[in-house]
Amino acid sequence: MSSHLDLRDVSVSFNGFKALNSLNMSVCKGELRCLIGPNGAGKTTALDIICGKVKPSAGIVSFDGTALQDLEEYEIARAGVGRKFQVPSVFRELSVSDNLEVARARRTSVFGNLRWSIGNAGRDDIERLAELVGLTEQLDRPAAYLSHGQTQWLEIGMLVAQDAELILMDEPTAGMTAQETRKTAELFARLKGKHTLIVVEHDMGFVKAIGDIISVMHMGQMLAEGTAAEVEAHPEVRRAYLGSGGISHA
Amino acid sequence: MDQLIEQIVTGLSIGSILLLVALGLSIIYGSMGIINLAHGEFVMLGAYAAWVFHTYLGLGLLASLVPIFLVVAAFGWVIERYVLSLLNNRPLDTILATWGVGIMLQQAVRLMVGSELRYVQLPPALADSMDVFGIPISSYRVFLFVVSIALFGATWLLMNRTTVGMKLRAIIQDRSVAASFGINAKRVYALTFAYGAGLAGLAGALVSPLKSVSPDMGTGYVVDAFMVVVLGGVQSLAGTVASAFILGELSGGIAFLQNDTVAKTIVLLAIVVLIRFRPEGLFTARVRA
Amino acid sequence: MPSNISNSSGLQRLIAQLAPLLIVSALVFALPVLLNNDFLLNKVARYLVLGILTISLGLSWGFGGILNLGQAMSFGLGSYAMAMALKLKTVPVHTGASGLPDFMVWNNVQHLPWFWEPFRSLSFAIAAGLLVPALVAAGLGWFMFRGRVTGVYVSIITLATMVVINLVIIDQQSYTGGFNGITDLAQLELFGVAFDAYGRATYYLVAGCVLLSLLIAFAFTKSRAGLIVQAIRDHESRVRYFGYDVALYQIFVFALSAAIAGLAGMLYTVVMEFASPTFLGVQLSLSVVVWCAVGGRQSLVGAFLGAVLVAGMQGALSESAAFLETWTLVMGALFVLVVLFLPKGLAGLAQATCRWVAQRRQAASGAVGRGVSQTEGST
Repeated sequence: MSSHLDLRDVSVSFNGFKALNSLNMSVCKGELRCLIGPNGAGKTTALDIICGKVKPSAGIVSFDGTALQDLEEYEIARAGVGRKFQVPSVFRELSVSDNLEVARARRTSVFGNLRWSIGNAGRDDIERLAELVGLTEQLDRPAAYLSHGQTQWLEIGMLVAQDAELILMDEPTAGMTAQETRKTAELFARLKGKHTLIVVEHDMGFVKAIGDIISVMHMGQMLAEGTAAEVEAHPEVRRAYLGSGGISHA
Repeated sequence: MDQLIEQIVTGLSIGSILLLVALGLSIIYGSMGIINLAHGEFVMLGAYAAWVFHTYLGLGLLASLVPIFLVVAAFGWVIERYVLSLLNNRPLDTILATWGVGIMLQQAVRLMVGSELRYVQLPPALADSMDVFGIPISSYRVFLFVVSIALFGATWLLMNRTTVGMKLRAIIQDRSVAASFGINAKRVYALTFAYGAGLAGLAGALVSPLKSVSPDMGTGYVVDAFMVVVLGGVQSLAGTVASAFILGELSGGIAFLQNDTVAKTIVLLAIVVLIRFRPEGLFTARVRA
Repeated sequence: MPSNISNSSGLQRLIAQLAPLLIVSALVFALPVLLNNDFLLNKVARYLVLGILTISLGLSWGFGGILNLGQAMSFGLGSYAMAMALKLKTVPVHTGASGLPDFMVWNNVQHLPWFWEPFRSLSFAIAAGLLVPALVAAGLGWFMFRGRVTGVYVSIITLATMVVINLVIIDQQSYTGGFNGITDLAQLELFGVAFDAYGRATYYLVAGCVLLSLLIAFAFTKSRAGLIVQAIRDHESRVRYFGYDVALYQIFVFALSAAIAGLAGMLYTVVMEFASPTFLGVQLSLSVVVWCAVGGRQSLVGAFLGAVLVAGMQGALSESAAFLETWTLVMGALFVLVVLFLPKGLAGLAQATCRWVAQRRQAASGAVGRGVSQTEGST
């Protein structure tokens, strides 16, 4: 079985601090992979490497056979990678519908976009998306007026609009109520299969609800992989979460 | 040989004036992220203050330095408190606001004392020249050099060895964390801006005997000083010193070899290229890989 | 630009957004009927041209987030392109050699320099007046935005570049007329119409260009590319992760803005009857920023009106030196107040007022009692 996304011996360091230390990970097409680990384990950095925000100092990132590590961010996005950030990142001065319209990046060239966007098809698409993330009432309001939870939903909606093959989610449920979290889990279940998802999460309940395979990171390396039960039983994972594994695994 | 030394001394003299003006700008930009386009007007205010103290109060230049510092610093304090502190998260708008303030200051001075050139007397004690390596050099220029280095030293001590400096550095790192430890960021910012303005005022007073004093004299200084800051790196006081003297020697040298237009063009193009390829300045280490 | 406007609510919204633009343009066209004074009409034409220049800055600054402190560079380049062509159309008066511009004769230039040659053709000059600023801007934009220069640094680079070009123009006196600029020009003649600076034809030419610039800028801001440019202004890096090459969009809006500024520059030469290095000076460049901020940087009509009103006021007061000096002080204060309290300028104030009135009316009609009305105000 050939894997969809492959990270091979990826390392990166900031000021001598090794945020990733020979990280290896592979994800299959249509899979929903949860990425967990203690604070500072390098989960967000791993996503940064895949989407091109940070360039690795060593190692290879391949996506369907394309080497991503040498591409610009926009080229990686065009190759089919979408990213949701930990701090919700939307266009605050634009309306919700304009946010979704920007995310619907079917055409990306400047001259291809010198056309007006008042057509029916686009609007229908956007209304459907807004309904999906529960922002129908807010379509014409600037994103700056949304609550924190709504902003999270908007960014998730933007990722659905982008329709990327591989979707990277950094703590999508932060700041959401229990009910909203449940709704997110349902949405992810629907996305899985059609899209490949990598979700970084702290909420173990959420992770158990959505994840098939869980990857545990620690000190910039992959510590363990498996189902929820397997991972929880793993002795090194237990030690890492208790905080005593720091020295022995350096 | 003599000519070379003379050239070097001229460069040092230009450099010390640049340093005097750039020091305040550098502190304000480096710590508050504000590009203070009114900085030239603070220089101008300092020069006019020297003229006013001399003409109306009969005070000599040296005696009026401390009051000038205080007066211009007070101006800076007011401007920070009532204008800039309202623009916390809008860095581009602070350029516009300080520029507007600069216009107002310039115009107010023009309306009050007119736009004719004013002259300030050289302090009599420093009016003659002294021998350096067998070459006669104006004592006042030597004095300028010494003062600029002394002010740099004082500023360094203030930033690195006092509680106010420590608080300021904490705020630069993270304003909200500093505030949660009880540091009054507003007050520290106002004081920083006032100090930077005061330094500019001192610079204006000190150059006033060398150049004629006019309402628009500050415009040229702010551009040159800004280049010093960019070249030196925003967070680095030592870089500011190095770049002030490098630029001083360079502009002295180029102006000596070529005409003024070529000199200005070269300096401007150098700045453009520098910003594009090393926005963090020449004298700071790259922080992130 | 293909537009498939079949959605009626979209069409209504479009008309509502176009209304201020069309009303202002209609007023501009109607003015000569009310103002029967060729001298004043020439002055108004001048302010309208400055209005076009300010629209161009609004496009790059208000919509693209690119604060170009060297916007007058494009304006000046356009102005010189037109002046060079009109200079070569003059019947030589002082010249000894074959039709050489007078200042070249004074500077002992023997032959027309190669870069002057093509300006014998007016069509070339007009094309150059648009394309040279656009290409220079595209080149500078490529240099800056490919290196991800942002914010304040863009402002410094644009300002420094303009000063360099200004210095070169002043320095190369024998080819550019130096400090004095290019004076004593022929009248512009297009399609058999002569454009006297003080004539109606010139006024209507300027008015037509106002409408054209507003429409082009409007069409761009309403296009998908315009939307993406605004997204870049809000959150540059986020746009990259949707697959857009941010630098290309920035370069495009930067160059489009420069072309419109170049158009304004060409018109300015026609209206003022000369070109001067002050047209690409720091003073004008910064004034444009003030006009744009006062009028409203995120509103094309606002930016235009800001320039016409403020520059017009300044012109009216410039008869008396004392008035002008006080005015500059007032202007500085006004500018600081706008920056502090009206970041969207007068246009933002007007929009807020409209919204407030609409909400009041809705609240009132709701109180009369037809049940719960839709409280979402339209924007």
